[in-house]
Amino acid sequence: MIEVKEVSKGFGRKKVLNGVSFTAEKGKITSLIGINGVGKTTIMKAIMNLIPINRGEIFIDGEKLSEKSYEKITFIPDAITLLPQMRIGEAFIFMADFYDSWNEERANELLQFFKLKKSDRISELSKGNTAKVNLLLGLALDVDYILMDEPFSGIDIFSREQIANVFTSHLIEDRGVIITTHEINDIEHLIDKVVLLDNGVVLKEFETEEVRENEGKSVIDVMREVYRA
Amino acid sequence: MNRYLKLVNFEFNRFFKVYLALIGITILSQLIGVFYEAGNYVSKANHSIYNQLMSKSDFITQYQPMSLVRIIIGTPWFIGPIVFSVAVLLIYVFFIWYRDWLGKNTFSYRLLMLPTARINIYLAKATTILLFVFGLVALQLLLFISECWILQWMVPNEFRIDNSITEIINSEYLFRVLFPRSFLEFLLTYAIGITAVFMIFTAILFERSYRIKGIIFGIIYVFLSIVIFFVPILLQVFIFKNYFYPVELFFMEVVTGLIVLTGAIWIGNYLIKNKVMA
Repeated sequence: MIEVKEVSKGFGRKKVLNGVSFTAEKGKITSLIGINGVGKTTIMKAIMNLIPINRGEIFIDGEKLSEKSYEKITFIPDAITLLPQMRIGEAFIFMADFYDSWNEERANELLQFFKLKKSDRISELSKGNTAKVNLLLGLALDVDYILMDEPFSGIDIFSREQIANVFTSHLIEDRGVIITTHEINDIEHLIDKVVLLDNGVVLKEFETEEVRENEGKSVIDVMREVYRA
Repeated sequence: MNRYLKLVNFEFNRFFKVYLALIGITILSQLIGVFYEAGNYVSKANHSIYNQLMSKSDFITQYQPMSLVRIIIGTPWFIGPIVFSVAVLLIYVFFIWYRDWLGKNTFSYRLLMLPTARINIYLAKATTILLFVFGLVALQLLLFISECWILQWMVPNEFRIDNSITEIINSEYLFRVLFPRSFLEFLLTYAIGITAVFMIFTAILFERSYRIKGIIFGIIYVFLSIVIFFVPILLQVFIFKNYFYPVELFFMEVVTGLIVLTGAIWIGNYLIKNKVMA
């Protein structure tokens, strides 16, 4: 389980996170929802120790993040994390070189699924295909937790569908996923848990199934209630 | 350790093309210089002796004998590419970090998320810079030797002075710095160089951690490091007025140098581990 406890972060005088707390369980897809600039990416970076936090604590399976944690949790940001001049095959070699958790078989499977070629140079890929490679590099790691930052932003409809299909496949099963988005439509049917954020605070945290069954509300219904209140 | 070596290999390959270009420019420029200057000299000698009937000794008195030192001092063929290489490597000390952070590229994320102690990234980048420096220094030594042979082959004995490597090194201030005469001097010169690289790296990490405020922190940090390094000399000059023996001063400098070096790595480690922003 990922536990974010009372995390605060400011940039200069601007407070981006103000005591944010939530949990994300293994085997569930948790979505951080909020408009742009609300602190979603900052939370993910804080979980990965890519920015320092001012206050609070973050635990992954009860432990603080250490260098070994990067074999257990990975982050897929909205831009590709390998060098644009690399070919996909070279990116695979890089990942295999540095990560014990790199699963070459799964990487090849994803390569086929996304209809990409190892000889393709990253800088020459379309935006949609770059996003797919980025996703592939994260998903091919045998990690327990995956953080994804806006995996659908600026991507054509067919690529969106392909990426959405990944969520219902064995590639995600049993893993803990935190996904940020400001467009809920693409993934509403996929997510298990929602954390609604605004101005650096958690407005509401709920299980989608529970709300659907007990209150008969969709995620969008709850969002309307919370944000318009 | 293993991942550190992989990182060194990775960093080395990323700059290798530019590095090869530097090697190429250095070799080409110096060889062209030797061939051009020696060829010119020989044809001038031929012209003076055979067409103007000047005696060999008169020619030598008037034009001085040819030597490698003469080409090094009198023309830009040697110093030019070396100064250029030094400048490129100095820029690369900064660029080796900023290339991972700037632009659309989020490679800094990948580097910081590698399952290895982050200090390895810092040490691998430093090692890469040092390998490049030592590579060029070794290349230059080999070039000196081969250029001496070329000169011997092109210019007849009586028109030529054969310089020893020591003479060649002593001919230029830059060479005296790059090729210290004793092992101790070598250790000192390169220890200062290595410390300077670590110091700049740590200053860059201050900037990458605190951005605009970090530039100020970085400048203060570099200033303090330099002051600490020179404390023994400052004491000697301003307070104790030549109280210490040179050997005492030397050992105190070694100690302050080590303090600055370990300080740079320690602070660098703290920043890259806890404070740096991807």
